[in-house]
Amino acid sequence: MTRGNILLATLLWSVIAFLVVYPLSILVVESFKIAETGTWGISNYLEFFEDAYYLKIFGNTLVLSTLVLLSTTIFGVPLSYILARYRHWGKTVFTALILLPIVLPAYAGVFAFIIFFGKYGTVNLLLMEMGLIKTPINFIYGLHGLVCIQTLHMLPFIALSLSAGFTNIDPSFEEAAEVEGASGFWRFFTVTLPLCTPSYLAGAVIVFLWPFTDWLTPLILGQVDYLPSIAYINIAYHFTDMHRKYMGIVAVVVSSAVCIILFLLAKWWVERKKYTGLSKGTTSEGRVIEPGPLIKVGSYVYMVCIAILVLLIPAVLGLAAFSRRWVFEPFPTYWTLDNFRLILLETPLLIKNSFVFSGVALFFGIAFGLPAAYLIVRTRVPGKDALDFVITLMLAFPGMAVGVSYLLAFWQAIPLATHWVIMPLALFARRLPYFLRMAHSSYLQLDISLEEASEVSGAGKLRTFLNISLPLLLKGVLVGVVMFFIMAFQEISTAIFLYRGGWETLPIGIYLNWHRGMEFGIAAAMAFLMIVVTFILLLIISRIGGGVLKAAWGPGGT
Amino acid sequence: MAFIEIRNLFKRFKNVVAVNHIELEVNKGEMLTLLGPSGCGKTTTLRCIAGLEKPEEGDIVIDSKPMLSEGFVHPSKRGIGMVFQNYAVWPHMKVYKNIVYGLRLQRLSKKSVKERALEVLELVGLKGLEERYPAQLSGGQQQRVALARALVRNPKVLLLDEPLSNLDAKLREKMRFEIKSLVRRMGITAVYVTHDQAEAMVISDRIAVMNSGRVVQVGTPEDIYGRPANRFVADFIGTMNFLAGEVVRVLQDDAHAVYVRTEFGETMLCRTPHSMATTPGEKVYASIRPEDVEVFAAPPQSRENLVRGTIVHKAYLGNFLFIFVSVNGNLIRVQVPHHLPQEEGQELYLVLDPQKCMILS
Ligand SMILES: Nc1ncnc2c1ncn2[C@@H]1O[C@H](COP(=O)(O)OP(=O)(O)OP(=O)(O)O)[C@@H](O)[C@H]1O
Ligand SMILES: [Mg+2]
Repeated sequence: MTRGNILLATLLWSVIAFLVVYPLSILVVESFKIAETGTWGISNYLEFFEDAYYLKIFGNTLVLSTLVLLSTTIFGVPLSYILARYRHWGKTVFTALILLPIVLPAYAGVFAFIIFFGKYGTVNLLLMEMGLIKTPINFIYGLHGLVCIQTLHMLPFIALSLSAGFTNIDPSFEEAAEVEGASGFWRFFTVTLPLCTPSYLAGAVIVFLWPFTDWLTPLILGQVDYLPSIAYINIAYHFTDMHRKYMGIVAVVVSSAVCIILFLLAKWWVERKKYTGLSKGTTSEGRVIEPGPLIKVGSYVYMVCIAILVLLIPAVLGLAAFSRRWVFEPFPTYWTLDNFRLILLETPLLIKNSFVFSGVALFFGIAFGLPAAYLIVRTRVPGKDALDFVITLMLAFPGMAVGVSYLLAFWQAIPLATHWVIMPLALFARRLPYFLRMAHSSYLQLDISLEEASEVSGAGKLRTFLNISLPLLLKGVLVGVVMFFIMAFQEISTAIFLYRGGWETLPIGIYLNWHRGMEFGIAAAMAFLMIVVTFILLLIISRIGGGVLKAAWGPGGT
Repeated sequence: MAFIEIRNLFKRFKNVVAVNHIELEVNKGEMLTLLGPSGCGKTTTLRCIAGLEKPEEGDIVIDSKPMLSEGFVHPSKRGIGMVFQNYAVWPHMKVYKNIVYGLRLQRLSKKSVKERALEVLELVGLKGLEERYPAQLSGGQQQRVALARALVRNPKVLLLDEPLSNLDAKLREKMRFEIKSLVRRMGITAVYVTHDQAEAMVISDRIAVMNSGRVVQVGTPEDIYGRPANRFVADFIGTMNFLAGEVVRVLQDDAHAVYVRTEFGETMLCRTPHSMATTPGEKVYASIRPEDVEVFAAPPQSRENLVRGTIVHKAYLGNFLFIFVSVNGNLIRVQVPHHLPQEEGQELYLVLDPQKCMILS
């Protein structure tokens, strides 16, 4: 425990205190403010939990969460089993496609689905042209549509954690079951699946919390009776009605509380249940089997279906981006580059802002994340576990909570919100765990004796870090950097509360364009542009090493 | 007819041949050990018997029923019990549930399941631990759970893959005898895999020595030790001195008496009764175990195979002495059961007992 380490810990803690603890406490404090009298009390909460409307909304959100979890599980279990266990051609491609929604912004998916499955969307128009239906079918407006879209968006989280679970089970557990007389489904349900519960849960909690975070999807689909959406409407549309504003803040706090509590419960349970591997002496890289022809065809069909749904998003947005006046036609007929001309030449500000804000946030992220990872993995400074804990908790915090709390905290006392630096700062605070987890897990894999050897040879701590640790960590850190950038680039939930005229980013531009009128072209072109940027960054990641990504995102990576 | 017959078994992983056309028979009620160095294909052979690997060629017959040639029989239908090297005790089930897992799959009444489980628990000495989770058991106890689980269904065949390799030395020795007597008592046909030759000697009725995917020799422990089929077996089981040489004369009246000119420069007589047939001029190894070499301070009278050497190194191993003697620049290892007055650097005489000296190729 050297002086330097303590100094570093103090420094990092001050940053966290200033950018995380302080604003979030202000958020909680504000939620107790009573609009009418200007005093403090619990009456906002009492009202929230007595009002039939808010209770209904709370219930709606729970129902949505349950349904999304249920459907991701139903679709995810076979999918992960196929990905983890069957030997088949194109495994990497399918895995990449199926995981894609993790990095695609959720709103991109919604727009694509509206264009394709909407009331007068491609599918309905085609069906009507063929004379199969008279009036359009309502594919997406309603609970069922929400469930569908959110399921597609969250499926990768279940697939990733479950397939990691399937891969990591010691094969002899299943072989023992087979020798004992159990085969097929019985073995799967009595041995395989129970052994996977810890990894399943790690993914399931993220899925379950999504409807408590995602305000935009319901809003775009015109379904506002969910907790985050109502919170957004109360705060953003009714800023002058103090009472509604505080009810909105209460809604934000309630959904944050749900997220945090469930997240912690799951984390605690997973850590308690994690079956310590006793495996020794097997030469297998997990159990990979050659499926029979029937199963093989079946699993291809299954994977292709999901992959098509995923690919629909960039494809539809691409069509919309390169055309105009695509209404009441199944496919666009008027092709143009107008949308891009508008974005790139007439308002290049959005693109510039997106890159600048994400870039500055990334700079903060590296400057903070690397020392933090070092501190957490390699030292015994008191309070380092708490630091890790707080940063990990940011994974569960709804983006809206960060946005609103920054607005409240950095307005009067510390008027940071009037300077554009608030945007990258907020992005940094929100996306920090993405970078830290990656740096953290590559640090864990770095054998400490390599660093010790350097110190024995006479190098100081800093020199050791620069000459030994950093080069060896580089791969993992680079993947973390790119991941951070992708996530910051598409961030909207926090930014939407903080931007002012001239600070708009691409996601905000998408939102505003949708909001102002029904011309999808520009919004679609912006979304398409974002997808292209994301694709390029992903390509970089996969060149650096997709394995690193998987290692860090598998369950128990923290 | 043998209870388990392995016929022409061949199994490869991509371009590694793990099991190379093996023929092997296991008799009813016997404990056969597959013994061999790491990577020689023991586990793969065992897994083929269990049905956990599908071999490319050959057949396995268990109790007159072919497992491969008349359609692949799934592991769950083979009526076997198996103890895995890492035990594979399911961590999410309590001991009791682990043990009755296979019983539950048979249509038995709850009562008889319980009776049978308790019986087996008693047998392996795990009584009272039914309600524990595997994580709350020691390595030895987990090993017993694995054994109980394998035995509970009264399998026709018991397969054990290095079941003791994760235990400490003392417990390992104790469990050897326990497993052996248990399997004897139950009359189960068992195939046991190990790379520990001492373990194989203690536990087996017969040993099959394997090397790079082939069975090199099958026999009782005495056979394997006393009459190794070749240099590999002799070297793998116990310690052996190999003296490279050339056959110079085979006695006409006594085919077992062979003279070999060795690197020692002397001609040695090998007359073990079961020596392989040789002809003069053949390159062979005159071989003798360290304990079959006699040591003398002064040259004894008229003894065959007498050589003179210098002690290079003395190693004290508790119950006996191991000395390395240089004879004309060649090292020979000798085991002496008692105190030896000579020190390193001093000379002594060795007699390589012709009755124990064998010819190997
Ligand atoms: N699943 C597999 N994939 C590829 N090669 C394998 C596989 N299993 C075994 N092998 C190879 O087959 C050969 C025999 O392996 P096997 O596990 O049967 O050896 P073993 O005799 O049990 O060794 P040990 O004493 O180390 O357990 C080895 O060369 C091994 O590398
Ligand atoms: Mg083995």
